[in-house]
Amino acid sequence: MIFSHFTALVVFALIVSTVFALITKSEPREQFRYGVFVFFSFLAVAFVVGWIMYPLPL
Amino acid sequence: MDQSNEQIGSASVSGSFEAKPMNIAATLAICSGGWLVPGLAHVLIGRWIRGLIFAACVLLMFALGLAMHGKLYELEFDQPLHLFAFIANIGTGAPYWIASRLGLGIGTMTWPSYDYGTTYLWVCGLLNYLIVLDAFDIAQGRKP
Repeated sequence: MIFSHFTALVVFALIVSTVFALITKSEPREQFRYGVFVFFSFLAVAFVVGWIMYPLPL
Repeated sequence: MDQSNEQIGSASVSGSFEAKPMNIAATLAICSGGWLVPGLAHVLIGRWIRGLIFAACVLLMFALGLAMHGKLYELEFDQPLHLFAFIANIGTGAPYWIASRLGLGIGTMTWPSYDYGTTYLWVCGLLNYLIVLDAFDIAQGRKP
């Protein structure tokens, strides 16, 4: 199975944010809100770090 | 299962949580079960839905890691830094040993998703450690 970079990132963020939300919050509403926050945080940080690294000669 | 729920704790009329910790031997047995089979600890303490979601997350991540040709590390004393990868991998519990027995998780470095697969395999083990610690806290009455 070959995922694109972005798909692998999205699946990773989805699973990890689900577990984090269930572990850290007890109320379903809080869990959902925190899970969505963590999920989009993963994506946002990946985009920001990606753009920061873009001009670097790697 | 209702009885174990009652042992662990119950919400009072005022809404605060009254914790009734299980004895430490039972807690450790439950946590060991949760380590071997992801999500089992929560199922044993009566958190069915949470346990099944945890099991689905960890096992899906493990399966995807293997499907992406990730590597499962073994205990190798000649490569000390691999110890950390091994510790992360064995966090998955029984699926790690089963996959190793079946010859899966060899890791194909030339495969495009090799790095992702290996990372998935590490992270699902580390997540399972967190899940077991969560079950420990619940069983000890530290959280609802």
